[in-house]
Amino acid sequence: MRKYLIALLFISQAYAQTLCPPDLDTMPVRAGGRVKPMLVLADETLRFVTGSSKYGDESATMTFCKLSYDGLGIASNIDLPVKVEHVEAKALLGMKPDDTSIPFSLLSQKTEDIRMAHMKIKENNSYKKELNKIMNRVQIVQNTINGQIWTLPEVIGSKVTWVPLAEFLTEQKMAALKAQHADPFSALYQTAKADFIKAENDHFMREYFYQKAQFFLWGLLLGIIALAVAFAVPKDWIAITLTSALILLEVSGMVLRVLISGRAPITNMYETVMFSGFGALVISFILFLIKRERLFLIGGLAYNVLCLMMMKFANGMLDPSISPLVPVLRDNFWLSTHVTTVILSYAALALSWILANVVLARQVFKGSTPAQTRFQMEQIYTCIKVGVVLLSAGVILGGVWADYSWGRFWGWDPKETWSLIVLLVYMAILHGRYTNWITPARFVPLAAGAFMSVMMAWFGVNYILATGLHSYGFSEGGALFLGSFFLIQSAFLIFVVLKNKKTPA
Amino acid sequence: MWNSFLRLYQQTEKTLGSLKFAVFIILIFAVCLIFGTFMESYHGAEYANRLVYKSLPFMGVQLLMFLSILSATLLRLPPKKHLYGFYVIHLGLMTLFLGSYITYEAGVDGSLTLAPNSPAREVSLNTDQLLMQFPAKGNQVTIDLPYSFGTKNLDFKWENIKILRFIPFADEVIGWSEDKLADTSRLHSGEYRIENDNFGEDFTLSLHPASDFESTAQLGPLSVHYMPEVLADCFGKDSHKGLLVWDAQGGRCFAPQTKDMKEQKGISGKNLLILKESGEDLRFLPDLSPLPVDKDLKIVQDSPYRIFSRSLFQEKPHLFLFGRFVGYFDKEASKWMVKEFKNLTPVDLPWMGFKIVLKNHSPSKFPIRVPEAVTPIQDNGQLIKGAMKAIEIQAGDTRFWVTNQRAMSIEDPKDGKIIFQLGRKSLTLPFEITLDQFKMDTDPGTNNPASYESFVTLFKGNEGSEKHHVFMNHPMKYSTFTFYQASYFQTQQGPFGSIFSVNYDPGRPWKYLGSILLVLGSLWHFVLRKKPSKKNAETSHA
Repeated sequence: MRKYLIALLFISQAYAQTLCPPDLDTMPVRAGGRVKPMLVLADETLRFVTGSSKYGDESATMTFCKLSYDGLGIASNIDLPVKVEHVEAKALLGMKPDDTSIPFSLLSQKTEDIRMAHMKIKENNSYKKELNKIMNRVQIVQNTINGQIWTLPEVIGSKVTWVPLAEFLTEQKMAALKAQHADPFSALYQTAKADFIKAENDHFMREYFYQKAQFFLWGLLLGIIALAVAFAVPKDWIAITLTSALILLEVSGMVLRVLISGRAPITNMYETVMFSGFGALVISFILFLIKRERLFLIGGLAYNVLCLMMMKFANGMLDPSISPLVPVLRDNFWLSTHVTTVILSYAALALSWILANVVLARQVFKGSTPAQTRFQMEQIYTCIKVGVVLLSAGVILGGVWADYSWGRFWGWDPKETWSLIVLLVYMAILHGRYTNWITPARFVPLAAGAFMSVMMAWFGVNYILATGLHSYGFSEGGALFLGSFFLIQSAFLIFVVLKNKKTPA
Repeated sequence: MWNSFLRLYQQTEKTLGSLKFAVFIILIFAVCLIFGTFMESYHGAEYANRLVYKSLPFMGVQLLMFLSILSATLLRLPPKKHLYGFYVIHLGLMTLFLGSYITYEAGVDGSLTLAPNSPAREVSLNTDQLLMQFPAKGNQVTIDLPYSFGTKNLDFKWENIKILRFIPFADEVIGWSEDKLADTSRLHSGEYRIENDNFGEDFTLSLHPASDFESTAQLGPLSVHYMPEVLADCFGKDSHKGLLVWDAQGGRCFAPQTKDMKEQKGISGKNLLILKESGEDLRFLPDLSPLPVDKDLKIVQDSPYRIFSRSLFQEKPHLFLFGRFVGYFDKEASKWMVKEFKNLTPVDLPWMGFKIVLKNHSPSKFPIRVPEAVTPIQDNGQLIKGAMKAIEIQAGDTRFWVTNQRAMSIEDPKDGKIIFQLGRKSLTLPFEITLDQFKMDTDPGTNNPASYESFVTLFKGNEGSEKHHVFMNHPMKYSTFTFYQASYFQTQQGPFGSIFSVNYDPGRPWKYLGSILLVLGSLWHFVLRKKPSKKNAETSHA
């Protein structure tokens, strides 16, 4: 900080305003335990603080960089709207219930109130967690202003040291560059970047390309078109071509993500949603090609689009950033086999869920003959069979990994227990199908309802059980999403049952 | 007889092997698991294990599952070609059950704590035991405690010692005990609450020597002193240099100037105070000791008199509690204040808006810590309620508690000293392990752990020693045991220690075989099998 202040005294206002050149996006920075392009750091920071990747017309990088103007003693005119979600936190900060954010300038005056309120809460409930988040956001903005978050590479010999901006802008460097360049900051960044690439590599540029290419956003658009075509256009080849293109696009995105992270793309909720959507699409496409039944393709595309929409719009719940793994997961073999198999099984079961709901909706609103119902039931049954086989394999692979890593095949951990519960629920349906308990009329709603167990195993363990029921209060993203899902699915099933009772087949 | 037995067997096999029973028992099993996961989320893993996963009813459900699978297989014999996959799945499941049972009965699952450079061989297991040591006899007795989720009455007797009950999840509450023998008029106790807008805390203080509570407390910068109630009367009065004299025997307090006080120079120029009390001279060196001194200026240790200098407590915040009275120095008024607590009415204190209230005062009973059974609550994997285990013991006519946080010892007329310790059952390894170094790497530029690594030396007795590197996903195997990097801790001296989970699983080969059969069977049955005709399907699942 001392060096930074010395540099500040040296930097004139005119120079300071050139601190943020347009090519800053590709500057390598180290944050969160790995090297990434500035574009990604700025985007992640801004999204965490404000919930958006932009501030007015400014890009994330420019906003992030210009915040440091304040540290230079120059007014940046940036007053970030800091995201506040919890009702009690809003009341504490004097916000209206409808407000979604509070200006940083106002919030920074209330940090003592937040700290005192945080101290008073004994239970680790959702309000306390929200206050924690708000304090983190305040800290991040302050550190950005102070030039502490933004680290730059300083290469001495072949060794790279990462230095915060506050220390990077030394008097000597600025004096030397100012004498040679009209735009000294840009020259400084470019030299640092070139030195870093020479000393290490330019792999961070993969992430820049990944961020810019927006594979999954294009995938969403293509998926919607493919779904519409699969519904409306009778000729198979158009749907096949579009689906193939969509698979290729998603594979490209995932391969690039694998190259960036160096591991299978299944290590957080964002990636599991991404992979399950992809898996369901591939499974449905194969089933469609084998059985030539369009319903599979429609189901696969619909689920894929749902997943892509969640990835795009549910960032509060699904964090798209790439972070280092916790130590126990750092085993690519088991990660690539166990988690992949389980997520593929969820994908197949998701396919059965979406087909079951489509069939139920068709039954209720359009009506269908017993022959049609039996035929559609077979399609759902096929998906469940695939899901059950994959899930059995996945659960067992998990047991083998646990035995290999922790010395126990089974430990009643909530995640492994819930994957067994899912298997049991579907096994009960598969067994019950041969009794008069589960008739064809009951099979389809049960297949739709059974997916709630998958959602509990997938999301519920992370968002409800992990936090403890006593503290989640349905105010955090995941719990709210899951609660809404259970409510809507249950309501639809009750509606179907009531409707079928009124009009017996 | 034989025929009726055969009929009963066939009927039982038919019922247990039926698809409806399979659905029923699968759902019961699933419901138990759902309940277990929610219990774990609320109450922690150990509570869920004791209540559900390792409970007898859950074992019963698993047995019924096994019998259902076995009966379903037997009912479908002799083998039918289209059911080959079905047989393999069910055989796989039964093998898995068998492996799990062998692990449950004969396996070892514990942890080994490795302090830096100290050989270790004691593996701590997951079950509790009471250890009774008889130092005079040089022997010890261990009692295995039940794996119950709630309080369990025990009927165990060892000579004249009775083990009464075991509480697996307890919190300490304040119990009030009566001392019928001693004169407790000056040994009172009290419960207080101090709070302001941002902070609040309850605390208990006692003057009784048998109490588990002290007569002082430190609440942040505030020092609290609990004193006999009779001191309150003179505490607020003016006195010479702020000095007060307390007569513990007479239970009274007075200002020195009321007793024909003389002041002289004593040792090293310190003030010597001479008071006339009951016709005798009482000499004090208040700057050196609260006890009086004799003519030779030697401290009289057994004197009931104490001199107390209030001026020592005027700079920093000190709170004096005299049972139903509270005293403090008010800097603004520059005087000592004494106020009486009245009916739970808070008394304002001169520090940061604090108030204090007397919640309970007892002149005859004294507070002790008593374990009380609670349902535990967990937060982030740690129990925030019910983290204590306790066992009640009766020795002769005396009952007392031993907890996993506090051992107890008694003097037995016959056996001499007996030490009681409540802890984990342990297993002694036939070899030793020493932690040479524990290393924790972090992700670059962060404090987030990237790896935990232990460098250990394994001493194999006559076979010499060897070095091992144990880290996540890279366990150490020796003899029949496998050692896994599980956790770590920092010692008081600074270096890190390591914790290994230790495992011996004789059921492992069966579990692996069962797993392979289950997956192959599922593939065979659900994917590769040619679908039987409708007629066959109805026959085979009837």
